[in-house]
Amino acid sequence: MNVRWRSAACLLLLALLAVATTLVWQRFTAEPIAQASRQWQERQWLAVLPPGSYDNRPLQTPLALAETSLRHSRLLAGYRATLAGSPTAILLHNRFQGYGGAIEMVIAIDTQGRLVGMRVLEQQESPGLGDQLADPARHWLDQFIGRAQQGTPEQAWAIKRDQGAFDQLAGATVTSRAVIEAIQDALRYFDDHRQALLGEARP
Amino acid sequence: MSRFWLVMISLAPLLGATRTIVQAIAISLCACLLTGLHQALMAPLRRHLDQGASPWASALLTATLVTCLYLGLRAWALPLAEELALYPLLLALPCLACEQLPPQTHRLLCRSLGGLLVASLALGICRQVLADDLGLHIATLAPGALILLGLLLGLYNHLRPSTTSPRRQGSR
Repeated sequence: MNVRWRSAACLLLLALLAVATTLVWQRFTAEPIAQASRQWQERQWLAVLPPGSYDNRPLQTPLALAETSLRHSRLLAGYRATLAGSPTAILLHNRFQGYGGAIEMVIAIDTQGRLVGMRVLEQQESPGLGDQLADPARHWLDQFIGRAQQGTPEQAWAIKRDQGAFDQLAGATVTSRAVIEAIQDALRYFDDHRQALLGEARP
Repeated sequence: MSRFWLVMISLAPLLGATRTIVQAIAISLCACLLTGLHQALMAPLRRHLDQGASPWASALLTATLVTCLYLGLRAWALPLAEELALYPLLLALPCLACEQLPPQTHRLLCRSLGGLLVASLALGICRQVLADDLGLHIATLAPGALILLGLLLGLYNHLRPSTTSPRRQGSR
Protein backbone atom coordinates (compact mmCIF):
# COMPACT_ATOMS: atom_id res chain seq x y z
CA MET A 1 0.00 0.00 0.00
CA ASN A 2 2.79 2.31 0.98
CA VAL A 3 4.54 1.82 -2.34
CA ARG A 4 1.32 2.57 -4.18
CA TRP A 5 0.76 5.83 -2.33
CA ARG A 6 4.31 6.88 -2.93
CA SER A 7 3.94 6.12 -6.62
CA ALA A 8 0.68 8.12 -6.85
CA ALA A 9 2.23 11.09 -5.04
CA CYS A 10 5.21 10.96 -7.38
CA LEU A 11 2.91 10.90 -10.41
CA LEU A 12 0.91 13.84 -9.08
CA LEU A 13 4.08 15.82 -8.51
CA LEU A 14 5.26 14.99 -12.01
CA ALA A 15 1.94 16.11 -13.49
CA LEU A 16 2.12 19.43 -11.65
CA LEU A 17 5.71 19.94 -12.72
CA ALA A 18 4.88 19.07 -16.32
CA VAL A 19 2.01 21.55 -16.49
CA ALA A 20 4.05 24.24 -14.77
CA THR A 21 7.02 23.73 -17.10
CA THR A 22 4.81 23.88 -20.17
CA LEU A 23 3.10 27.07 -18.99
CA VAL A 24 6.37 28.78 -18.10
CA TRP A 25 7.91 27.76 -21.41
CA GLN A 26 4.88 28.98 -23.30
CA ARG A 27 5.05 32.34 -21.51
CA PHE A 28 8.79 32.49 -22.16
CA THR A 29 8.49 31.78 -25.91
CA ALA A 30 5.38 33.88 -26.54
CA GLU A 31 7.30 37.06 -27.36
CA PRO A 32 9.93 35.42 -29.65
CA ILE A 33 7.15 33.53 -31.46
CA ALA A 34 5.15 36.71 -32.03
CA GLN A 35 8.25 38.49 -33.30
CA ALA A 36 9.26 35.61 -35.55
CA SER A 37 5.80 35.33 -37.06
CA ARG A 38 5.74 39.06 -37.75
CA GLN A 39 9.07 38.75 -39.56
CA TRP A 40 7.88 35.64 -41.38
CA GLN A 41 4.75 37.40 -42.57
CA GLU A 42 6.76 40.42 -43.66
CA ARG A 43 9.11 38.21 -45.65
CA GLN A 44 6.19 36.40 -47.31
CA TRP A 45 4.62 39.68 -48.31
CA LEU A 46 7.71 41.46 -49.50
CA ALA A 47 8.77 38.52 -51.67
CA VAL A 48 6.50 40.01 -54.33
CA LEU A 49 8.81 42.99 -54.70
CA PRO A 50 12.14 42.67 -56.51
CA PRO A 51 14.94 42.78 -53.94
CA GLY A 52 16.60 46.17 -53.72
CA SER A 53 13.58 48.03 -55.07
CA TYR A 54 12.61 49.45 -51.68
CA ASP A 55 14.38 50.62 -48.56
CA ASN A 56 11.49 51.32 -46.20
CA ARG A 57 9.39 48.85 -44.24
CA PRO A 58 6.16 49.06 -46.20
CA LEU A 59 4.08 46.94 -43.82
CA GLN A 60 4.68 49.39 -40.98
CA THR A 61 2.74 52.15 -42.73
CA PRO A 62 -0.59 51.03 -44.14
CA LEU A 63 -2.26 53.47 -46.52
CA ALA A 64 -5.75 54.83 -45.99
CA LEU A 65 -7.83 53.34 -48.81
CA ALA A 66 -10.70 55.35 -50.25
CA GLU A 67 -13.12 52.57 -51.13
CA THR A 68 -12.48 48.95 -50.43
CA SER A 69 -15.30 47.15 -52.24
CA LEU A 70 -14.23 46.56 -55.81
CA ARG A 71 -16.19 44.89 -58.60
CA HIS A 72 -15.07 41.33 -57.88
CA SER A 73 -12.93 41.62 -54.79
CA ARG A 74 -12.43 43.48 -51.57
CA LEU A 75 -9.31 45.40 -50.65
CA LEU A 76 -8.06 44.65 -47.16
CA ALA A 77 -5.02 46.89 -47.07
CA GLY A 78 -2.57 48.87 -49.16
CA TYR A 79 1.08 49.65 -48.56
CA ARG A 80 3.62 51.87 -50.29
CA ALA A 81 7.19 50.77 -50.95
CA THR A 82 9.65 53.59 -51.39
CA LEU A 83 13.29 53.83 -52.42
CA ALA A 84 15.18 56.89 -51.18
CA GLY A 85 11.90 58.61 -50.40
CA SER A 86 10.22 58.19 -53.79
CA PRO A 87 7.54 55.54 -54.23
CA THR A 88 8.50 52.49 -56.28
CA ALA A 89 5.54 50.18 -55.85
CA ILE A 90 2.17 49.78 -54.19
CA LEU A 91 1.16 46.56 -52.48
CA LEU A 92 -2.53 45.78 -52.50
CA HIS A 93 -3.90 43.03 -50.27
CA ASN A 94 -7.20 41.81 -51.62
CA ARG A 95 -9.61 39.02 -50.94
CA PHE A 96 -11.99 37.43 -53.42
CA GLN A 97 -14.09 34.33 -53.80
CA GLY A 98 -12.37 31.40 -55.46
CA TYR A 99 -13.80 27.96 -56.11
CA GLY A 100 -13.34 26.40 -52.68
CA GLY A 101 -13.39 29.51 -50.54
CA ALA A 102 -11.87 32.93 -50.16
CA ILE A 103 -8.47 33.59 -51.75
CA GLU A 104 -6.21 36.27 -50.34
CA MET A 105 -3.53 37.72 -52.54
CA VAL A 106 -0.98 40.45 -52.32
CA ILE A 107 -0.47 42.23 -55.63
CA ALA A 108 2.41 44.59 -56.27
CA ILE A 109 2.00 47.36 -58.87
CA ASP A 110 4.76 49.74 -59.90
CA THR A 111 4.37 53.46 -60.41
CA GLN A 112 3.61 52.97 -64.12
CA GLY A 113 0.64 50.76 -63.25
CA ARG A 114 2.36 47.53 -64.26
CA LEU A 115 2.20 44.34 -62.22
CA VAL A 116 5.53 43.47 -60.65
CA GLY A 117 4.57 40.50 -58.53
CA MET A 118 1.77 38.51 -56.97
CA ARG A 119 1.60 36.07 -54.16
CA VAL A 120 -1.20 33.96 -52.77
CA LEU A 121 -1.43 34.25 -49.00
CA GLU A 122 -4.48 32.11 -48.31
CA GLN A 123 -6.47 29.72 -50.45
CA GLN A 124 -8.71 26.71 -50.10
CA GLU A 125 -8.80 25.58 -53.72
CA SER A 126 -9.06 21.94 -54.82
CA PRO A 127 -5.86 20.05 -54.04
CA GLY A 128 -3.89 19.29 -57.20
CA LEU A 129 -6.02 21.58 -59.38
CA GLY A 130 -6.76 25.07 -58.12
CA ASP A 131 -4.12 25.00 -55.43
CA GLN A 132 -1.40 24.96 -58.08
CA LEU A 133 -2.06 28.67 -58.01
CA ALA A 134 0.08 28.88 -54.90
CA ASP A 135 2.73 26.45 -56.15
CA PRO A 136 5.84 28.50 -56.91
CA ALA A 137 7.11 25.80 -59.28
CA ARG A 138 4.12 26.28 -61.60
CA HIS A 139 4.80 29.94 -62.43
CA TRP A 140 1.21 30.41 -63.51
CA LEU A 141 1.00 33.86 -61.96
CA ASP A 142 4.16 34.94 -63.79
CA GLN A 143 2.26 35.42 -67.05
CA PHE A 144 0.66 38.55 -65.60
CA ILE A 145 3.92 40.26 -64.69
CA GLY A 146 4.49 43.41 -66.68
CA ARG A 147 0.85 43.69 -67.68
CA ALA A 148 -0.93 46.99 -67.14
CA GLN A 149 -4.49 48.17 -67.51
CA GLN A 150 -3.32 50.36 -70.39
CA GLY A 151 -2.03 48.33 -73.28
CA THR A 152 -4.22 45.34 -72.50
CA PRO A 153 -7.67 45.59 -74.05
CA GLU A 154 -10.66 44.99 -71.79
CA GLN A 155 -11.68 41.71 -73.45
CA ALA A 156 -8.13 40.35 -73.14
CA TRP A 157 -8.52 40.16 -69.36
CA ALA A 158 -9.86 36.63 -69.47
CA ILE A 159 -8.69 33.10 -69.97
CA LYS A 160 -8.28 31.84 -73.53
CA ARG A 161 -11.47 29.78 -73.26
CA ASP A 162 -13.34 33.08 -72.79
CA GLN A 163 -11.51 34.64 -75.81
CA GLY A 164 -9.01 36.31 -73.49
CA ALA A 165 -5.24 36.46 -73.57
CA PHE A 166 -4.22 34.34 -70.60
CA ASP A 167 -3.60 30.66 -69.99
CA GLN A 168 -5.73 29.00 -67.36
CA LEU A 169 -4.78 26.50 -64.71
CA ALA A 170 -5.77 23.09 -66.05
CA GLY A 171 -8.95 21.89 -64.37
CA ALA A 172 -9.41 25.08 -62.40
CA THR A 173 -11.40 27.43 -64.64
CA VAL A 174 -13.32 29.08 -61.81
CA THR A 175 -10.14 29.78 -59.88
CA SER A 176 -8.39 31.17 -62.97
CA ARG A 177 -11.30 33.49 -63.79
CA ALA A 178 -11.48 34.71 -60.20
CA VAL A 179 -7.77 35.48 -60.06
CA ILE A 180 -7.81 37.37 -63.36
CA GLU A 181 -10.81 39.42 -62.27
CA ALA A 182 -9.14 40.24 -58.95
CA ILE A 183 -5.90 41.29 -60.66
CA GLN A 184 -7.83 43.49 -63.06
CA ASP A 185 -9.69 44.97 -60.08
CA ALA A 186 -6.44 45.85 -58.39
CA LEU A 187 -5.00 47.47 -61.52
CA ARG A 188 -8.18 49.43 -62.10
CA TYR A 189 -8.12 50.60 -58.49
CA PHE A 190 -4.52 51.71 -58.88
CA ASP A 191 -5.32 53.69 -62.00
CA ASP A 192 -8.33 55.34 -60.38
CA HIS A 193 -6.56 56.27 -57.14
CA ARG A 194 -3.06 56.66 -58.44
CA GLN A 195 -2.28 60.01 -56.84
CA ALA A 196 -3.61 59.10 -53.41
CA LEU A 197 -1.75 55.79 -53.43
CA LEU A 198 1.57 57.24 -54.53
CA GLY A 199 1.19 60.25 -52.23
CA GLU A 200 1.58 62.73 -55.07
CA ALA A 201 0.11 66.21 -54.78
CA ARG A 202 -2.88 66.80 -57.00
CA PRO A 203 -1.97 69.00 -60.00
CA MET B 1 11.11 -6.55 -31.84
CA SER B 2 12.54 -6.15 -35.30
CA ARG B 3 15.73 -4.24 -35.97
CA PHE B 4 13.83 -1.43 -37.58
CA TRP B 5 11.12 -0.95 -34.99
CA LEU B 6 12.11 2.65 -34.29
CA VAL B 7 12.15 3.46 -38.00
CA MET B 8 8.73 1.89 -38.31
CA ILE B 9 7.18 3.76 -35.42
CA SER B 10 8.60 7.07 -36.66
CA LEU B 11 7.55 6.41 -40.23
CA ALA B 12 5.24 9.42 -40.45
CA PRO B 13 7.83 12.06 -39.50
CA LEU B 14 10.47 10.15 -41.45
CA LEU B 15 8.45 10.33 -44.66
CA GLY B 16 6.83 13.69 -44.12
CA ALA B 17 9.74 15.78 -42.93
CA THR B 18 12.66 14.67 -45.08
CA ARG B 19 11.93 16.74 -48.17
CA THR B 20 15.37 18.39 -48.02
CA ILE B 21 18.65 17.58 -46.29
CA VAL B 22 18.15 20.42 -43.79
CA GLN B 23 14.73 19.08 -42.84
CA ALA B 24 16.10 15.56 -42.51
CA ILE B 25 18.91 16.69 -40.21
CA ALA B 26 16.50 18.79 -38.14
CA ILE B 27 13.90 16.08 -37.67
CA SER B 28 16.44 13.39 -36.81
CA LEU B 29 18.23 15.67 -34.34
CA CYS B 30 14.87 16.45 -32.76
CA ALA B 31 14.12 12.74 -32.53
CA CYS B 32 17.48 11.99 -30.87
CA LEU B 33 17.13 14.93 -28.49
CA LEU B 34 13.59 14.01 -27.48
CA THR B 35 14.26 10.31 -26.98
CA GLY B 36 17.49 11.00 -25.13
CA LEU B 37 15.91 13.54 -22.78
CA HIS B 38 12.91 11.32 -22.22
CA GLN B 39 15.08 8.34 -21.32
CA ALA B 40 17.33 10.45 -19.09
CA LEU B 41 14.37 11.86 -17.17
CA MET B 42 12.53 8.55 -16.92
CA ALA B 43 15.53 6.73 -15.44
CA PRO B 44 15.33 8.33 -11.96
CA LEU B 45 11.52 8.31 -12.02
CA ARG B 46 11.26 4.56 -12.59
CA ARG B 47 12.65 3.86 -9.14
CA HIS B 48 9.79 5.72 -7.48
CA LEU B 49 6.96 4.47 -9.70
CA ASP B 50 5.20 1.14 -9.72
CA GLN B 51 4.21 -0.80 -12.83
CA GLY B 52 0.83 0.91 -13.30
CA ALA B 53 2.04 4.49 -12.97
CA SER B 54 5.03 4.26 -15.27
CA PRO B 55 3.18 4.62 -18.62
CA TRP B 56 1.29 7.64 -17.29
CA ALA B 57 4.50 9.31 -16.20
CA SER B 58 6.04 8.54 -19.57
CA ALA B 59 3.09 10.05 -21.42
CA LEU B 60 3.15 13.21 -19.28
CA LEU B 61 6.85 13.63 -19.78
CA THR B 62 6.59 13.06 -23.53
CA ALA B 63 3.76 15.60 -23.86
CA THR B 64 5.76 18.23 -21.98
CA LEU B 65 8.95 17.65 -23.94
CA VAL B 66 7.23 17.63 -27.32
CA THR B 67 5.28 20.80 -26.54
CA CYS B 68 8.42 22.59 -25.40
CA LEU B 69 10.33 21.45 -28.49
CA TYR B 70 7.55 22.59 -30.80
CA LEU B 71 7.28 26.01 -29.16
CA GLY B 72 11.05 26.36 -29.17
CA LEU B 73 11.22 25.57 -32.89
CA ARG B 74 8.53 28.14 -33.64
CA ALA B 75 10.27 30.78 -31.55
CA TRP B 76 13.81 30.46 -32.86
CA ALA B 77 13.55 28.67 -36.19
CA LEU B 78 10.18 29.64 -37.62
CA PRO B 79 10.99 29.03 -41.33
CA LEU B 80 12.16 25.53 -40.43
CA ALA B 81 9.16 24.99 -38.16
CA GLU B 82 6.84 25.98 -41.01
CA GLU B 83 8.50 23.41 -43.27
CA LEU B 84 8.37 20.66 -40.66
CA ALA B 85 4.69 21.46 -39.97
CA LEU B 86 3.21 19.14 -37.34
CA TYR B 87 5.74 16.35 -37.75
CA PRO B 88 7.86 17.25 -34.70
CA LEU B 89 4.75 16.57 -32.58
CA LEU B 90 4.56 13.05 -33.98
CA LEU B 91 7.99 12.35 -32.51
CA ALA B 92 6.11 11.61 -29.29
CA LEU B 93 5.43 8.14 -30.71
CA PRO B 94 9.03 6.87 -30.71
CA CYS B 95 9.45 8.33 -27.20
CA LEU B 96 6.51 6.31 -25.95
CA ALA B 97 7.64 3.23 -27.84
CA CYS B 98 11.05 3.32 -26.15
CA GLU B 99 9.30 2.64 -22.85
CA GLN B 100 8.15 -0.71 -24.18
CA LEU B 101 11.74 -1.87 -24.55
CA PRO B 102 13.02 -4.33 -21.99
CA PRO B 103 15.04 -2.50 -19.30
CA GLN B 104 18.80 -2.03 -19.59
CA THR B 105 18.90 -2.04 -23.38
CA HIS B 106 20.73 1.19 -24.00
CA ARG B 107 22.82 -0.36 -26.73
CA LEU B 108 19.75 -1.40 -28.68
CA LEU B 109 18.24 2.04 -28.22
CA CYS B 110 21.40 3.80 -29.37
CA ARG B 111 21.69 1.55 -32.38
CA SER B 112 18.07 2.14 -33.31
CA LEU B 113 18.45 5.89 -32.97
CA GLY B 114 21.58 5.73 -35.10
CA GLY B 115 19.63 3.74 -37.66
CA LEU B 116 16.89 6.35 -37.64
CA LEU B 117 19.44 9.13 -38.10
CA VAL B 118 21.09 7.36 -41.02
CA ALA B 119 17.74 6.47 -42.61
CA SER B 120 16.45 10.01 -42.48
CA LEU B 121 19.72 11.47 -43.74
CA ALA B 122 19.84 9.02 -46.64
CA LEU B 123 16.22 9.75 -47.45
CA GLY B 124 16.80 13.51 -47.26
CA ILE B 125 19.82 13.39 -49.54
CA CYS B 126 18.13 11.09 -52.07
CA ARG B 127 14.94 13.14 -52.14
CA GLN B 128 16.71 16.44 -52.59
CA VAL B 129 18.97 15.11 -55.34
CA LEU B 130 16.10 13.38 -57.15
CA ALA B 131 13.75 16.35 -56.90
CA ASP B 132 16.11 19.25 -57.54
CA ASP B 133 18.74 17.81 -59.86
CA LEU B 134 16.80 15.16 -61.75
CA GLY B 135 13.43 16.91 -61.62
CA LEU B 136 11.50 13.90 -60.29
CA HIS B 137 8.45 15.54 -58.79
CA ILE B 138 7.30 12.38 -57.01
CA ALA B 139 10.37 12.53 -54.75
CA THR B 140 8.94 15.64 -53.10
CA LEU B 141 5.72 13.83 -52.15
CA ALA B 142 5.20 11.40 -49.30
CA PRO B 143 4.34 8.36 -51.52
CA GLY B 144 7.62 8.85 -53.36
CA ALA B 145 9.41 8.95 -50.02
CA LEU B 146 7.82 5.63 -49.00
CA ILE B 147 8.96 3.97 -52.24
CA LEU B 148 12.42 5.43 -51.81
CA LEU B 149 12.65 4.22 -48.22
CA GLY B 150 11.68 0.74 -49.38
CA LEU B 151 14.40 0.82 -52.02
CA LEU B 152 16.97 2.05 -49.48
CA LEU B 153 16.08 -0.69 -46.99
CA GLY B 154 16.26 -3.24 -49.78
CA LEU B 155 19.69 -1.97 -50.75
CA TYR B 156 20.80 -2.14 -47.12
CA ASN B 157 19.55 -5.69 -46.75
CA HIS B 158 21.36 -6.65 -49.92
CA LEU B 159 24.65 -5.09 -48.87
CA ARG B 160 24.77 -5.76 -45.12
CA PRO B 161 27.07 -8.47 -43.86
CA SER B 162 25.23 -11.70 -43.23
CA THR B 163 24.63 -12.36 -39.53
CA THR B 164 25.11 -16.08 -39.79
CA SER B 165 28.11 -17.56 -41.47
CA PRO B 166 27.44 -19.74 -44.50
CA ARG B 167 28.90 -22.73 -42.61
CA ARG B 168 26.04 -22.63 -40.11
CA GLN B 169 23.28 -22.36 -42.69
CA GLY B 170 23.33 -26.11 -43.18
CA SER B 171 24.29 -28.08 -46.22
CA ARG B 172 22.44 -30.27 -48.61
